Amino acid sequence: MSRKTKNADEMFDRRMFMAAGVGGIVWATLVGRLFQLQFLEAERYQDLAEANHVKLVMAPPERGQILDRFGRPLASQRQAGRVSVIPEQMKDPEAVLNRISNLIDLPDTRRERLIEEIRNARRRNAAFLPVIVAQELTFEEFSRMQVHAVEMAGVDVQMASTRSYPRGRDFGHVLGYVARASAEDLDRLTEGLVPEDRRIYQEMFRHPDMRTGRQGMERFAEDWLRGRPGRRRVVANAHGRPLWELEQDPKQAAVPGKDLYITIDAELQRTAIDRFEGESGAAVVIDIENGDVLAMVSTPAFDPNGFVNGISGADYAVLRDDPRAPLYPRAHGGVYPPGSTFKMVVATAALEAGVIKPEDHVRCPGHYRFGNRTWHCWKRGGHGAMNMHNAIKQSCDVYFYEIARRAGVRKIAEVSRKFGFGHTWVLGMTGARGGLVPDPDWKQRVRNEPWFEGETLNFGIGQGQLGTTPLQLALMTARIAATGAPIRPRMIGLGPNDEDDALLDEPLDPAIMERMKAGMYGVTSEGGGTATRSGDLGLGGPRLAGKTGTAQVRRITAEERARGVVRGGDAIARELRDHALFVAYAPADNPKYAISVIVEHGEGGSRTAAPVARDILAAAIRMNSGRTPTYAQRAATTPEPEAGDPA
Amino acid sequence: MSRDGFTGFTRGEARVRTAASTLQFAELGPFSKLARMPWGIVLLIFGVGLVGVAMLFSVGWDPVTQAPSAREAGLWREQLTRLSVGGVLMVLLALLPLGVWARLSWLAYLGVLVLLVLVDFFGIMGGGAARWLKVGPIVLQPSEPAKLAVTLAVASYYQRMMPLNGRSLPLWVHLGALAIILIPAALVFKQPNLSTALALTASGMMIVFFAGIGYRYVLGAILAGIAAVPAIYTFVLEPYQRQRVDTLIAGITGQTTNGLGESYQIEQAKIAIGAGGVSGKGYLQGIQSQQEYVPEQHTDFILTVIAEEFGFIGTVGLLTVFAFLFVWSFRVAARNRSWFGRLATIGATSTIAFFTIFNSGMVLGLLPVLGMPLPLISYGGTALITVMACFGLILSAHLHRDEKMTTHGPI
Repeated sequence: MSRKTKNADEMFDRRMFMAAGVGGIVWATLVGRLFQLQFLEAERYQDLAEANHVKLVMAPPERGQILDRFGRPLASQRQAGRVSVIPEQMKDPEAVLNRISNLIDLPDTRRERLIEEIRNARRRNAAFLPVIVAQELTFEEFSRMQVHAVEMAGVDVQMASTRSYPRGRDFGHVLGYVARASAEDLDRLTEGLVPEDRRIYQEMFRHPDMRTGRQGMERFAEDWLRGRPGRRRVVANAHGRPLWELEQDPKQAAVPGKDLYITIDAELQRTAIDRFEGESGAAVVIDIENGDVLAMVSTPAFDPNGFVNGISGADYAVLRDDPRAPLYPRAHGGVYPPGSTFKMVVATAALEAGVIKPEDHVRCPGHYRFGNRTWHCWKRGGHGAMNMHNAIKQSCDVYFYEIARRAGVRKIAEVSRKFGFGHTWVLGMTGARGGLVPDPDWKQRVRNEPWFEGETLNFGIGQGQLGTTPLQLALMTARIAATGAPIRPRMIGLGPNDEDDALLDEPLDPAIMERMKAGMYGVTSEGGGTATRSGDLGLGGPRLAGKTGTAQVRRITAEERARGVVRGGDAIARELRDHALFVAYAPADNPKYAISVIVEHGEGGSRTAAPVARDILAAAIRMNSGRTPTYAQRAATTPEPEAGDPA
Repeated sequence: MSRDGFTGFTRGEARVRTAASTLQFAELGPFSKLARMPWGIVLLIFGVGLVGVAMLFSVGWDPVTQAPSAREAGLWREQLTRLSVGGVLMVLLALLPLGVWARLSWLAYLGVLVLLVLVDFFGIMGGGAARWLKVGPIVLQPSEPAKLAVTLAVASYYQRMMPLNGRSLPLWVHLGALAIILIPAALVFKQPNLSTALALTASGMMIVFFAGIGYRYVLGAILAGIAAVPAIYTFVLEPYQRQRVDTLIAGITGQTTNGLGESYQIEQAKIAIGAGGVSGKGYLQGIQSQQEYVPEQHTDFILTVIAEEFGFIGTVGLLTVFAFLFVWSFRVAARNRSWFGRLATIGATSTIAFFTIFNSGMVLGLLPVLGMPLPLISYGGTALITVMACFGLILSAHLHRDEKMTTHGPI
């Protein structure tokens, strides 16, 4: 064996050992580094990892329910199937939405809006927040989507909490509705908040399950119903998308909103709406003893369920352009001339002013001359000699022209306000209006014209500038029926304090009120009364007392009068016919419920409005709507918030 | 001394003399070779590949639905297919006698050179570099076969140049080898593909070292390399590469690095590795690496998934398995009877070892981020096939350790 050959082997072996040595050092370095990271500093990196992927996310509170006086749900939270997409997980949003639209009903306009929304989410770096595609899935749609969602990246199908109005249209105008908070809503809700709270609100309302009251009670009682958002600990991925929940800190849990009880009896409300039989109009029922509003009907109405998930432009246009105005809150926001239902106010003013005695007579020849003009009584031939009782009973216009002129506009306006006219009764709703009680000061200010005494005559029969709402008319009736006792109208049974908590307690002479009640009883129950056909409640005894009225929609011209008055019938287009009004209370001998009814274009108060009012009052008595509400117990036991903690 | 003069080594002769059989191993049929195949090693290599497949399954796991996620669910299946194809290829290549490898070496080398030049002209751009060549439906990345071709060419070159009398080689021979290494390395560098160029050069240098270049030249090269670092940093590196180096130095010296850009990846990788602790979070439980916190977790940074799910035990275990494979391969080199067999094995082993070391060093924040896959484990087809082919060569050198090289270079 040669030495050289041995050299080659030795050289190779030597260098092999050197390479192995270097390799060993490298191996030890790598293992040392791993030891440092995974053993010595492991705890620190575990903390860092947790900080990395454990995130606190907003947990939306469950919104409180709205219930009627007997605990029937009017607005509640309901679980419903929902499809949402997470923009960051979708490669081709348009293709995904096209596929979804093959499985469920998804209009083209909605799809275009969604694509826009997804694009915006990506721009705002909020692509991990779900965008809702469709809600309120039917069972078939829900199962179909669940089967196919697994094939579509970024599509989620789940049950979600959504606001629901089980009684739909019945309470549209009272409850209003909730909606996703718009920029304006956020500005309104965060007004006057410190920036920190403002941010919390903004984060909270970005949550797809969050809604805010946009109208009605939902808006009024927003703070009461909303509750407080909590924080959930979740594991999130690198893009911030929550993956799953960790155990919760009870102190961080969301506090659900409180339930709101309103004074309305949902069954009475339903009966009242049915009784309109499709006619447009309004009815308000008030409990005379405590001022609880038991029914607040405005028909036709809208279904608030349609607004919860955002109403489409087309659907909204249908509601807005409907000639029967379903969006118009007639009961508390509709302003009508009260017509003859206002005559008790004028009579009260005249008696208070002492310009006439109840037994004094005024002769009615069917017209009344004042200055160089002539005012007419509804009865062409005239009523003959009228005292106050008969004038109310037969609704003689000439009598009221005379006593109105004698009492004067200022006195009538003053007494009107004592009955609650001219005041905006909000009672927790939106869209309430106060109407108008005209007087010389108002006319000078607004029209810059002096008051003409002729206008006082119109005022005397509830026409002219005078504007009232059905709610105000019901309040007027309730005060008369209560013989002038104070009354505090309210619709919030158990809930936030009504800022408008106004007590209607201006003094009214009980003796005068007794006369008014007698007159109203005459209307329904004595010979010659204008509404004797509707006087019997049909309950085998108890009667109601009321007053008819007609609100002119247009002025009757002298020419028409000369031709022979056409006040209604087929000769006049429906939208020009007069509104029929009726105010009443029952039972007549022991008043419990007061009501006002207006049937739009119903023409005659006694013919169309009085039977409606009668049947609603009868229903209220039959159902005992005014009995003790279920929340009374809870209201008594709920401790008042303490002003200061002594400890 | 030697009877035929084709080999400069005695160990092989000793083996021949003492072996029970006097058969020329190279003349054995394929079935006898299969019987002598070191199946334990083959299974170990395949097992490491399966670890990669399992980690890819974990990357594609959706912890919410407890099912493979829609997006990356297919990766592991693809990788398993490649691993199977690569495994068969590796065994088939192991059956090739070293003589065939040597004969093919120059052809392969020239072919790779042509492809590299073609890439320069007709290459497909991807990720800011022209690395791919499209021939009909096939997309080729010539820099991957280049690793094997250069190894074979240099080994073949030394086999031809090695003096029969066992004297050490003159310097010019080594310089010739350097030229064989640096021409393709320069072409790859120009693509630009710094990591592959570095790997080519490094494994080539290892062959030169084992061919017996004088220590003074080795020392000189190391010193020159260190001296050239500032110049390379300033003139050779692209701005983004300089930034990576800056990030690394900042990371090692403990300076604060901003949470974005290059250091984000390293920061997140370190968090994933550290969070694994000693025993790891368990298979499929690696939130940090699964939930897209670590970019490139399925390719270059797959070690973070192993570290998070199997902890210190898992990572050290994996590095030890790799170390064992390399030690075994070096022993294959030492036992081989021909210069070609020895040096080709050294080259193939060095190529895999450099990728392993550079990848781990990079993931652990010890080396700049250079875009190197972890052999056998990272997701990626060409790299996996190349590594399997390198193991095929090493296995061939093991099976044909007593083969006498009767060829001097190309035919």
